Amino acid sequence: MSVTRRLGSRWIPRGRVPGRAWLVLLCLTNSCREAARGPSNDLLIVGYDREPDTLNRFSTHILEDIETCVVEGLTTNDEQMNVVPLLAREVPTLDNGGVRMRPDGGMDVIWRLRPGIRWHDGVPFTSADVAFTVAAINSPAYKPESTDGFDRIASVDTPDSLTAVVHYREAYAPYALQFVRGALPRHVLEGRDIDRAADYNRKPLGTGPYRVAEWKTGEYILLERVPHYWQGDSLPKIKQILFRFVTNTTTRINQLKAGEVHVVALLPMDKYREVTGIPGIVVRKTMGNGYEHVTLNERRVAAFADVRVRRALTHAVDREEIVRTILDGLAPVVHGPIQPVSWAFTDSVRRYPFDPAHARALLDSAGWHATSAGGLRARDGTPLAFTLMTQAGFVIRENVAQVLQRQWRDVGADVKVQLVDGTAISTKWFSGDFDAMLHWWQLPADPEVTLFFAADRTPPAGRNINYLVDSALTTVLYASDRTVDVVARRRLLVRAQQMIAELAPEIPLYNVTRLDAVPATLRGFKGNPTNTGIFWNVHQWEVRP
Amino acid sequence: MHACLYECSPEGRGRPLNTIAVVALRRLLQAVPLLLLISVVVFVLLHAAPGGPVEIYLSNPNVRPEDIARLRMSLGLDRPLPVQYLSWLGGFVRGEWGYSFADGRPVAERLLERVPATLELVATSIAIALVASVGIAVYGAARRKTVGARAVNSLALAGISLPVFWFGLVLQLVFAVALHWLPSSGRSSFGDAGFADRLRHLVLPAIVLAAVHAAAWSRYLGASVGEVMRAPFVLVARSRGVAPMPLMLRHVLRNALLPFLTVALLDAALMVSGAVVTESVFAWPGLGGLFTEALARRDYALLMAFLMVTSTAVIVLNLVADVAYRALDPRTAG
Repeated sequence: MSVTRRLGSRWIPRGRVPGRAWLVLLCLTNSCREAARGPSNDLLIVGYDREPDTLNRFSTHILEDIETCVVEGLTTNDEQMNVVPLLAREVPTLDNGGVRMRPDGGMDVIWRLRPGIRWHDGVPFTSADVAFTVAAINSPAYKPESTDGFDRIASVDTPDSLTAVVHYREAYAPYALQFVRGALPRHVLEGRDIDRAADYNRKPLGTGPYRVAEWKTGEYILLERVPHYWQGDSLPKIKQILFRFVTNTTTRINQLKAGEVHVVALLPMDKYREVTGIPGIVVRKTMGNGYEHVTLNERRVAAFADVRVRRALTHAVDREEIVRTILDGLAPVVHGPIQPVSWAFTDSVRRYPFDPAHARALLDSAGWHATSAGGLRARDGTPLAFTLMTQAGFVIRENVAQVLQRQWRDVGADVKVQLVDGTAISTKWFSGDFDAMLHWWQLPADPEVTLFFAADRTPPAGRNINYLVDSALTTVLYASDRTVDVVARRRLLVRAQQMIAELAPEIPLYNVTRLDAVPATLRGFKGNPTNTGIFWNVHQWEVRP
Repeated sequence: MHACLYECSPEGRGRPLNTIAVVALRRLLQAVPLLLLISVVVFVLLHAAPGGPVEIYLSNPNVRPEDIARLRMSLGLDRPLPVQYLSWLGGFVRGEWGYSFADGRPVAERLLERVPATLELVATSIAIALVASVGIAVYGAARRKTVGARAVNSLALAGISLPVFWFGLVLQLVFAVALHWLPSSGRSSFGDAGFADRLRHLVLPAIVLAAVHAAAWSRYLGASVGEVMRAPFVLVARSRGVAPMPLMLRHVLRNALLPFLTVALLDAALMVSGAVVTESVFAWPGLGGLFTEALARRDYALLMAFLMVTSTAVIVLNLVADVAYRALDPRTAG
């Protein structure tokens, strides 16, 4: 011990920190200041929340932001979710003769392509590519994520290089979106294993305003503009777009604050205030095509099979308060599955305003009476109790779940909240292993909701996880799927929305509104409510002070 | 036949190299059933966890249940679990690690491309942690009971308790957002991947990863240094006139580092697989990020390969530590 003490003061070298160390530090920090560049038409940097698995639009899942800059569809969805032509000259309809119903119950769709379009390698884009795409997707050798619609195509004729006639075996209402993901280049992929065609899947050949210049795994994808883009030689204005992969939301926002990225798409609503305070950044709000709601599993909870209980639980929820307090007023309350952005939307449906007294009366009439001093209800000895499941770590959902728990408790329902991680939860709902679930549906751009409400579409055959069985509604839904005429189809879908509102199989809460943080100097940004994403009109974007 | 059968220490002591070789060989053979057992446990655990590789499609309205069934079949997920395991094992032994469920690329390629970034981060962190822990330990042991030593010890304790996630974000806010001294995340700047740029990107994640280990190691090493300094031979050396610096470096540290070696090597192996949080916070393109991504996607092929490779790394480094310990410390011979 004494040795230690005596040694202590002498053997540690003393002196100041070497001057060179400070010099190195100064160099490092100074050059960093230069590294953060503001947005410009030379370079726009996007903080992206994930690295894509693939850039093949037919194999990807959900988000297609990067792909839409490169690969164009025959049609696309605009900011109002209208289907508009892109590589096609027009959207085929019954009125313009592009769609013909056949006497055998099938239909033909005639796609007329724009002349003069070339793939980025200079090869002309033709109807043979469209026919090849259908054949490839229907081939057992390829694993696209969805074959929806393609599996109803019997054959494709190509009378000339700019015309593809698609023969469907049956009427298929969403035909206009069949080629929204574009086409596969025949001259590149014919005879190949597309799943393993890494050259295409990582650097797809397209006709769009950008091409993939570099994909640095784990770090970024760099897009650079193509010369002579078919919509105009001066387009796109922005030379390069860099998608940086930053999975952590807080880090992504820190990058935005530090000026290291210029765009952050799909901001969580609880980050809205924080991001609006960043100088030079504006947050664009876009009405979404999805809705947050509570699914009531009728198969699991007997009480939910009674429409009076479902209506009572809906009346018990103060949705306006949830939106005002938790969502900062960012999203509107909705009353049904088809969202206001859809051409099939109607607001002429039964509403369930916040009315706890009416909710209690409905529960009384259904035989659920208060049995304890606390007001909790039961019927024939069975308590009105269930578990509300939702996603762990999703701050907004966790908060909403607590409000729902309290508001249902106020009318006599004993509710527990269960948080489950994001990957596990989808399995739970797909197998119907829950009582009630707080979650959202992102809907297809086509207003088909059969998958969610038809009686024969309960899991595993579909996503009717309410386990609602209503034959009248099912008939109307299937009729709408087989109706190609837009006016007649809308009539059926309006009826379906009204029936769903009457049945109250689930409790719609609010529209899943998109929030995208972009530079205040970015012009031409329009947003998009569909999976096509905000980059659908990237060729019109420009950074201009 | 053998030119040299003995390794010789400066003190002139020696022991047969073949003893160490036998130990190493024995341990390697023991590792085979261990790895097999690990593979079974990992496989069962991964498949027992809720979710699966096609679950990501469930919330996509464009993907119908028919598509999900088709994808499950094409990935071979409809087969009984023992068949899936044996199929995987057969391939793995032959060096065919399969294809990632997520992007269809070879698993080995996906793992290998992430190795340089992880090694860069882990090697730097280990170097920082080693220098810091030796410094702190020596300072703390030499100046025991002084205010400075107590402060350093408290700092080390705080370091151990530091949540990596929080610490990383705080550093980002201070050095990237407020001061603009360093980049907040990533491995390099776009268009400037020079050495200085790479170094700047490395600073924050390396410090965060090093901090926790430096804190733990310094406590461990500090105790070891303190113990050696109380040994009679140190007093003898001092009385023979050995100067403080050489005494600390040649005698005290050398002896104190021996038990520390095992801890450091095992921690280093775990750092390779365990930099998950740091890599996530700093968007570092290493193995940790790949593991998180694969876990969320339940990319079984990738996860199995990753976990087998890291298990092997832990076993091998454990073996290296054991052999090194035996080679350096004559008392453990035999």
